[in-house]
Amino acid sequence: MEASFLAAVNVSVLAMAVIFTVLVILIFTIKVLVRLVPYEAPPPKARRQPASAPSASGDDHVAVITATLAMHLGKSPDEFRIVNISQP
Amino acid sequence: MEFSFGASATKILTTTGFSQLEGGDILMIGVACLMIYLAIWKKFEPLLLLPIGFGCLLANIPMSMMANTDAGGLLNFFYQGVKHEVLPPLIFLGVGALTDFGPLLANPTTLLLGAAAQIGVYITLIGAVLLGFNMHEASAIGIIGGADGPTSIFIASKLAPHLLAPIAVAAYSYMALVPLIQPPIMKLLTTEKERKIKMAQLKPISQTVKIIFPVVVTIVCCLMLPGVTPLLGMLMLGNLFRESGVTARLHETSETHLINIVTILLALAVGSSMTAESFLRLETLKIIVLGLLAFCIATAGGVLFGKLMCKMTGGRVNPLIGSAGVSAVPMAARVSQKVGAETDSSNFLLMHAMGPNVAGVIGSAVAAGVFISLFGDVAPLESHAAIADIVGTVEPGIKTAIAQVAGVAESLR
Repeated sequence: MEASFLAAVNVSVLAMAVIFTVLVILIFTIKVLVRLVPYEAPPPKARRQPASAPSASGDDHVAVITATLAMHLGKSPDEFRIVNISQP
Repeated sequence: MEFSFGASATKILTTTGFSQLEGGDILMIGVACLMIYLAIWKKFEPLLLLPIGFGCLLANIPMSMMANTDAGGLLNFFYQGVKHEVLPPLIFLGVGALTDFGPLLANPTTLLLGAAAQIGVYITLIGAVLLGFNMHEASAIGIIGGADGPTSIFIASKLAPHLLAPIAVAAYSYMALVPLIQPPIMKLLTTEKERKIKMAQLKPISQTVKIIFPVVVTIVCCLMLPGVTPLLGMLMLGNLFRESGVTARLHETSETHLINIVTILLALAVGSSMTAESFLRLETLKIIVLGLLAFCIATAGGVLFGKLMCKMTGGRVNPLIGSAGVSAVPMAARVSQKVGAETDSSNFLLMHAMGPNVAGVIGSAVAAGVFISLFGDVAPLESHAAIADIVGTVEPGIKTAIAQVAGVAESLR
């Protein structure tokens, strides 16, 4: 029993030492990382202008609206063109 | 075939579960109902206790073939995920996807609080040895103090699979009881003045650092403690999904559907291991007591180290955040916030406590890695549980090739 107890104490001391060592290494690594790559505030967002024509990022929306309108009007999507989407 | 009403009725009666029901089964069905009650009506970790309780209920119905040891049964199939250490790492993948390491990166010294709280693991290990458990069993019991369910299951299935059920139940039960267990210890070990300390606002962290961090942790920790790679590697992969910004679908899946599905499988598998033969033993009682001891000492260790940091920084660290070093994300951090706010309602400790809280996850995984390095079987190829099973079913040629590779690896060592 005494041998087991001593073994358990040895394991505990060794393990705590390993845990602190690993985590201290991580602390220094983080500090170096934060110093090397400092935080930069994102640039202020430009004021949004009302869209006068569909933008490239809005292509998906235009496609969906075109398909829906074509179905509703019973026309081919080639027969009309969406030139402006304005948001309320 | 001649039909006899009496004989058929007797046969039906002898094939019902009632005919095989024993006292142990009845007691375990009672335990299962208690867990279901606690989950539903007392809201104790319902996401886990409910499926664990129901798994226990199923496993203790005689002739149902639902115990983890019933080969060919449904829950035996789920249990293979625990036995082969598949499910706990997948839970960690989801936890990583859910976790923001920002507070830890903003104040990295809080990692020390996550380390200090692991003292509960080792004091309990010593206590378990004194109560007659061997070192493998004591290690698996001690890790309950890490307050991390998947890590407890991972270590128990690796080092002491016969104790899996009581260890898992103790780990999850005490995690559910964090709001009850921790506050008295926190108040006992701190003064009112210390509890009122307001910490400086955390500085923002670059997104690039958040992306690099999981990769660095994987390299540093997994190289030092390869045995913990399944847990820590998955935790960091999940976090990389979150922070990289290019894997939105994987991130979303990991933090929602995947973790939910795996939780169901894991909890049912754990519940299925709660049979009367494995659970109704004196060891279970000892584990329940040792688990509580582990939790209390871990909390005290974190708070006391917090007090030390408070002294060393000239009063800039509130010691209450130390208790969050026990892991149990994010409940332990909420407890720090709650106890701090009870003393001063304008004191907001939650984000400060999240640092040591996620440090506790890393700390308990590292503690598990130390146990695996000391007592696990990380090196030999054929001795790995999963590979051993595969080797047993593959073509003899492949088996020979694996044996040759293992031989070469051994000769190089």
